[in-house]
Amino acid sequence: MNLATYARRNMFRRRGRTIWTMIAIALTVLIFCLIRTVLVSWEGSAEDAAQDRLASRHKVSFTMNLPLKYITDVRAVDGVVGATYANWFGAKDPLKRVPFMAGLAVDKDSFFEVSKEFSVDPAQLADWKATKNGVILGDILAEKLETGVGKTLKIESDIYPGDWEFKVAGIYTPNRKTADRMTMVMHWDMLNDDPRNAWGKDRLGWMLVNIKDSTRSAEVSKAIDRKFDEMDDQTLTMSERQFALGFVGALAAVLDALGYVSVGILLIMVLILANTVAMSVRERTNEYGVLRAIGFTPRHVATFILGESILVALAGGLLGVLLTFLLINNLAGPALVKQGGFFTFFHTPGWLMGLALLIALIVGVFAGLFPALRASRLRVTDALRRVD
Amino acid sequence: MVPLRYNIRSLFVRKVTTFATALGIAMVVFVLAGALMLNEGVNRAVQASARPDNVIVLRKGSDNELSSGFPQSNLAILTSPSQVAKGAGSVIGEIVVVVTAQRNGGDEGAISNITIRGMPEAGKTFHDVKLVSGAWPKPGTDEAIIGRAIDGRFLDPSGSGKPIETGNSIDLKRNRPLRIVGVFEASGSTYEAEVWGDVDVIRKHLGREGILSSARVRLSSPADYDAYKDILERDPQLSVKVSREADYLSSQSEGVAGLLSGLGIVIAILFSLAAMIGAAITMNAAVANRSREIGTLRALGFGKLAILTSFLFEAILLSVLGAVIGCVLVMVLTQFRFAVMNFQTFSEIVITFAASPAVFIVALIASIGMGLIGGLAPAIRAARVSPIEAMRS
Repeated sequence: MNLATYARRNMFRRRGRTIWTMIAIALTVLIFCLIRTVLVSWEGSAEDAAQDRLASRHKVSFTMNLPLKYITDVRAVDGVVGATYANWFGAKDPLKRVPFMAGLAVDKDSFFEVSKEFSVDPAQLADWKATKNGVILGDILAEKLETGVGKTLKIESDIYPGDWEFKVAGIYTPNRKTADRMTMVMHWDMLNDDPRNAWGKDRLGWMLVNIKDSTRSAEVSKAIDRKFDEMDDQTLTMSERQFALGFVGALAAVLDALGYVSVGILLIMVLILANTVAMSVRERTNEYGVLRAIGFTPRHVATFILGESILVALAGGLLGVLLTFLLINNLAGPALVKQGGFFTFFHTPGWLMGLALLIALIVGVFAGLFPALRASRLRVTDALRRVD
Repeated sequence: MVPLRYNIRSLFVRKVTTFATALGIAMVVFVLAGALMLNEGVNRAVQASARPDNVIVLRKGSDNELSSGFPQSNLAILTSPSQVAKGAGSVIGEIVVVVTAQRNGGDEGAISNITIRGMPEAGKTFHDVKLVSGAWPKPGTDEAIIGRAIDGRFLDPSGSGKPIETGNSIDLKRNRPLRIVGVFEASGSTYEAEVWGDVDVIRKHLGREGILSSARVRLSSPADYDAYKDILERDPQLSVKVSREADYLSSQSEGVAGLLSGLGIVIAILFSLAAMIGAAITMNAAVANRSREIGTLRALGFGKLAILTSFLFEAILLSVLGAVIGCVLVMVLTQFRFAVMNFQTFSEIVITFAASPAVFIVALIASIGMGLIGGLAPAIRAARVSPIEAMRS
């Protein structure tokens, strides 16, 4: 019997306890990965937002609109290669099949040129451009609304009262993982010509601007804002990424709290493993005395204990990563995205799983270190005399 | 029955193990109680500004004041039903907008929204608010007052770099400022994150003359609500939605409150799985190490049931210890308040943790549940120990 065999046999002497400890560690790793995945997905949506695209809106409030002629001025700004505009429609499904959907009234000629994250079949796009009450729907939205190309669609708005009837002209699919798949895109002209929008006639909600050089985004933003500085309606222009980061920043307190909570679960992991190791060591103190008496060094004893702790932690960690891969990446994540809710992607990245394993390793070292040191320092006579 | 003192002493013999296990349970209780306190905090903030005899009138189809709008002339129709409380100032029409403002001390991208509410002179008596400093705005002027939750926390949107506080101003549009003359408090309600000014001046600044976002109506009695709602909502010309103020206010924060407390409770449940395994491991070890003791107890005449209850009791004791530690720790949270964006109204909502007896009762019940589940299998094992074999080993 060599040392490794001894350690392995020792590990499974209390088989139930070892296995339950591994399960508990696997569970904590799964929970850690889950919380961190929420954070990564949340913050990732901002990081992934376009940096070479600017958004320009009313400086005072996002509920205020801008004169339509601003778009012509913006297109003339140096460094701008394309610009489009949209209004918020406040779309609601009257049958409540979806809790939330985005409804945009957009310039039919330029919107899909600028918003490259939405890809539409050219034939459907041409058909949509020719149909004034046509809409293009996100793939998940179309599925949830149980509709398809060629069908009519009744939608309500919480801004413009009454029923709105559309014809579904196309379905878009996302090109980027953060692109929203729950948006309905309608003609700006349809909204503008409607009497219910009399107070907002010939006013646009916001502009999206493609720029030539993404490193000049701050400069071009300033040039746009300067153009309208002396007007009644001033603009606030930033890269979409900056806007998205601002939005994430508004929820920063929640993200911070989740971060702390994810550390809390690691603490539970340490407590459970340290408890298990401490219990084993206490039960075997006599044996360590015997080992020492027949010639094993203190280092041997410490290695046995530390090795066992690390092995249990790593085995639990591996199990946890496996569970994460199966449950989050292959089961819950895709289901959550399909749900069309808050997350456009929900996936535990490989580095995060690696980090979780590393943490499990560190926890293993940490939990085993003090019992190992204490046991190796025991005097042989004390260890042999001790009865529990 | 095995004396309870036996269990208490047994727990104290293994101090480290007992403490480690209890701490695990304390973490669960901390997260759970924190989530419940947060929910309680939001509810209290909502209830603080609601009166049972107040109703809010919005345009039909609108879920909040921001997207709602109807002509000022409708106000007369809202005032005429007999259920409206007698006297002037029972009906006030308000205009509500949000403006973008940068956080004071934040970088350029750190923008948030604050709500601006324009109201007639009667508004200050209709809403239950108190002046903290400065003065009330003079009606019909561009003077305004801010809630204490946002005092000095944001910068004027005009880009002047000055904080929004008494003595400074907010530019709604170029050269159309609201001058801040005071600070008010509203018993911790969400109004404290708003700026209040004169309805006519604000509408004129924004080019929305003659439009109201919403109306608040004081009824003679809360019981008149159904009749009043019926009269207004049946009027096809009017096309409005009538809700109780409390219902409306809680619907405005239910998204944020639900998300946060829901998240907390889900995490607490996940945590509790790990903590229960921890408790089971500890109790199992206790049973294994004490089989000789258990055998002795059995030989002394204690029955299987007595052993079972004794070990279950020990597990519950362990988890209640954890619950006490967790509840003490969670009280620290009452010192914190944090602001997040309410994604339903886009305005800031200041969140506090409020303790209530119900919170601690739920936490205690949850911890006892964890102790019972974690301790059941070990307790059954203990009850099955054969006295003869145990004493021989």
